[in-house]
Amino acid sequence: MSGLALRYELKREGRTEVSLAVPGGTTQHARLPDGEAKTRLVAAVLSAHVAGNEELELFGAPVRGLKRAERARLHDRIGVVTQAMGLISNLNAWENISLPAAYHRTRPIAEVAQTARTALESLGAADPQRFLARLPDEMDPFEKKLVAFVRLLAKAPALAVIDGLGEGLNREQSARAARFEAEYRARQPEGTLLFVDLAEEGSV
Amino acid sequence: MIRALREVEGGLRLLMNVWLRMPALARAPVRESLLRQVYFTGVTASTGVVLRASGLGALIIAFTMQVLDADTTLAVKILLWVVLREVGPLAAAMVVILRTGTAISSELAMMRITGQIDALRRMGIEAYDYLVVPRVLGVMIATAALTCYIQFLAVLGGMILSPFVIQASFTELYTRFFELVAPIDFAYSILKSMMFGFAVALTCCYHGLNPPAFTLNGVPQAVTRAVTQSAVAVLTINAVFAYLVFGVLFFGLVKAVA
Repeated sequence: MSGLALRYELKREGRTEVSLAVPGGTTQHARLPDGEAKTRLVAAVLSAHVAGNEELELFGAPVRGLKRAERARLHDRIGVVTQAMGLISNLNAWENISLPAAYHRTRPIAEVAQTARTALESLGAADPQRFLARLPDEMDPFEKKLVAFVRLLAKAPALAVIDGLGEGLNREQSARAARFEAEYRARQPEGTLLFVDLAEEGSV
Repeated sequence: MIRALREVEGGLRLLMNVWLRMPALARAPVRESLLRQVYFTGVTASTGVVLRASGLGALIIAFTMQVLDADTTLAVKILLWVVLREVGPLAAAMVVILRTGTAISSELAMMRITGQIDALRRMGIEAYDYLVVPRVLGVMIATAALTCYIQFLAVLGGMILSPFVIQASFTELYTRFFELVAPIDFAYSILKSMMFGFAVALTCCYHGLNPPAFTLNGVPQAVTRAVTQSAVAVLTINAVFAYLVFGVLFFGLVKAVA
């Protein structure tokens, strides 16, 4: 992929607080100065909508003024794992993973099942079959993140954004979550992966 | 007053949305959700009503024959009028309000408050398509099925249990019943029960999707509103049906003939 997959700017009090340019086909780690900036970036990418003091370009085109159909087409190419994970509590892990594909009929369910099984195996889920039958409320934060990530893989997005990969995880879980990057890259060699985190104090 | 008007307007909008979005049933997850709703509302509720429905039929027959000193014909007529036309659909509606209405309103309110409905929208899944259409249709189907089941149990239970309490044989009650029953009795009660199911599901979906507060306190408030308004809706529909059938049709015809 050539050019920028994502370009984002946030102005506050007349000056540019956040300026981000993510080339297509790369993996980037964005460290944002505060929670508000991080939330606004993720929300802007998720909704393909920006406020007056923001600028967002996705795949080289500004999102401001997009028509509904154009916005929907853009959503098809983007996958986001948010802090809240967006899992539906009365659906088990498999139903959560397969719901978008089954609803939009974008990919055969057998293909999604294959993706889910192999991804879970390579990310260290002990018994994928049993794991997929569990409800989100029965899972720890890492397992929820895993389900949200596998759902993202099943969508095969050209641009994947992962918000706060290590947040809420212990050291061992963070180490396992770090394998998400290799897993995404193995499936989407040309895709763009952006990790969004808060900057550690003094590093901005 | 303004809140009431807003609720009526919201309910009408929801009603329009449900009908316009019926084609969503072509999608596999929506169909699965519909089957799940029918199973929860109809099948899992059915075990709890066996004894109550059977006892109800026996009570009506015994009460009519003992207290009113009626013969088997009148007792069976009352069984038909009361159980088939009125109590059957009403009992099913009450079971549906108490089990399914509370479940739908609390589940949807919780989903709304915890951002799960926003998550669905972000996946490009319309909440009306995925959450409302299968629930409304599923509750309608299940309420009609539950009504048939309660009617069957009440009539059969009444005929089997009554001979132990009063001087009436099973054969006599059975014969009278099939002499007096008409398909219109079933059609009337099924139509009415489907309307009950529709009203209950719509009311509960509306309050679940529009909780009064976006905190956990909003869940019980949404459930309370959903249940009380569902009960009012069911009783109103019942009164309208009773007026149309007994007031306009029956008495209208009697007066016209006289």
